[in-house]
Amino acid sequence: MIPRYQRILFYTLAVMTLLLAAFTIRERQKAQEHITAINSAMPYVAPVDAQTESVTLDLANDADGTILSALRDAALPKEPSLRAHALLERLFSEYNLPDSPHPLTTSPAVDDVFLLTPPVSPNAPADLPHGQLAVVNLRAAFADAHPSGVLVEVLTLQSIVGTLHANLPQIAQVRFLVDGQQRETLAGHADLTHAYPAVDTAATLLQPTHPIEHRQ
Amino acid sequence: MLALPNLVAAQSMPYISRNVILLDPAHGGQDNGAAIGSQPEKNITLSLSDTLKSLLTARGFTVATTRDGDPPAGAPALTFDQRAGTANHLRPAACILLHVTSSGFGVHLVTSALDPSVSPYEPSVPQPWDTAQAFYIPQSRSLANDLGLALEHAKLPVVLLHAAVRPLDNLTCPALAVELAPLARSGQRPLPPSDSLYQQRLATALADALVAWRDENLPKPAPPAPKPAGVTP
Repeated sequence: MIPRYQRILFYTLAVMTLLLAAFTIRERQKAQEHITAINSAMPYVAPVDAQTESVTLDLANDADGTILSALRDAALPKEPSLRAHALLERLFSEYNLPDSPHPLTTSPAVDDVFLLTPPVSPNAPADLPHGQLAVVNLRAAFADAHPSGVLVEVLTLQSIVGTLHANLPQIAQVRFLVDGQQRETLAGHADLTHAYPAVDTAATLLQPTHPIEHRQ
Repeated sequence: MLALPNLVAAQSMPYISRNVILLDPAHGGQDNGAAIGSQPEKNITLSLSDTLKSLLTARGFTVATTRDGDPPAGAPALTFDQRAGTANHLRPAACILLHVTSSGFGVHLVTSALDPSVSPYEPSVPQPWDTAQAFYIPQSRSLANDLGLALEHAKLPVVLLHAAVRPLDNLTCPALAVELAPLARSGQRPLPPSDSLYQQRLATALADALVAWRDENLPKPAPPAPKPAGVTP
């Protein structure tokens, strides 16, 4: 038979143990919240001065070989090279969508975009385009996984060129590199060895016309 | 009001062998090209080239190809410049590059994106290799248009485009790339470009259209005029 005072002492100690455990757990949670709050206030990456704005994307369609301009919202930084990079990432996010008419699965596609202003030479040919040269450095993983074919590769390049031209009119030419190196083709077909003139690429694809239409 | 063929014929151009066609089945050797189902593109372009060659030969053309098979293992693949060199030495009436893809639908006819040359052809002036096609742009686009019409007549959907695809820019002949993509069919799965009947349909339309284009744009030279009667040396 346990004496009554011992039972009272046991229950009292048990209740105090539970209270102490609850107090300890609560204090631990408070300490964690305090540390998290301090860390959240610390910066991790450089701040980006980006505002959401409406941009024009030249979107390709493999089925009929067309490129159509479309307006989309995007947060773009002010610095032109970063702006061009963000613009192309926004473009390729459209192609990553499951129902994209020009499906490209590898992302990110673009490593860097550099905007270069060639020096003006008095001996330069008169037909040399005036403006900046955009060097688009594609990732090798993107190029290696790109669908292979003349039309599908040309549409990707024209989509990039048209999107840059529509949003950054100071660009006169676009050159493509892959992992910083010149490559002969994108995925076996479209030529990457020369610079592309920055022009409006939307609706440049054609249909055959009857001879009578030629003569007009 | 001038017809396009007259415009094309009006330009001073180097000699062309009106009965010679050059076919370039793309890729080959270690370069497999695109994967079309379980087959590499290089095999399908070769099969399409063989079909088209036999149809063109039956219509009186002399057909040359940049490759008739796959090079032996370890042999280097043909470069773009070698393909263009083979074509340019023959002075063919047309150069046709054959490609196959699993993207898009129908037939894609691709001509060079170079601007047409504005200066007349001058034999004594060397032409740059990278823009050799510029003199032939009007003829190449006329050829692509006529082939496109023939393919549409054969119920094959066509897309025309101007693009930088090697070695188109280096060719000194009316030139285009023909890319065969799956054929969409209502209510059925698309017909793959490896289908032999689909290839035969394409090749027949192309062969007939090439005969018509040659006869319209590259007429036979007139026979020598008969000597006047009564005049003897």
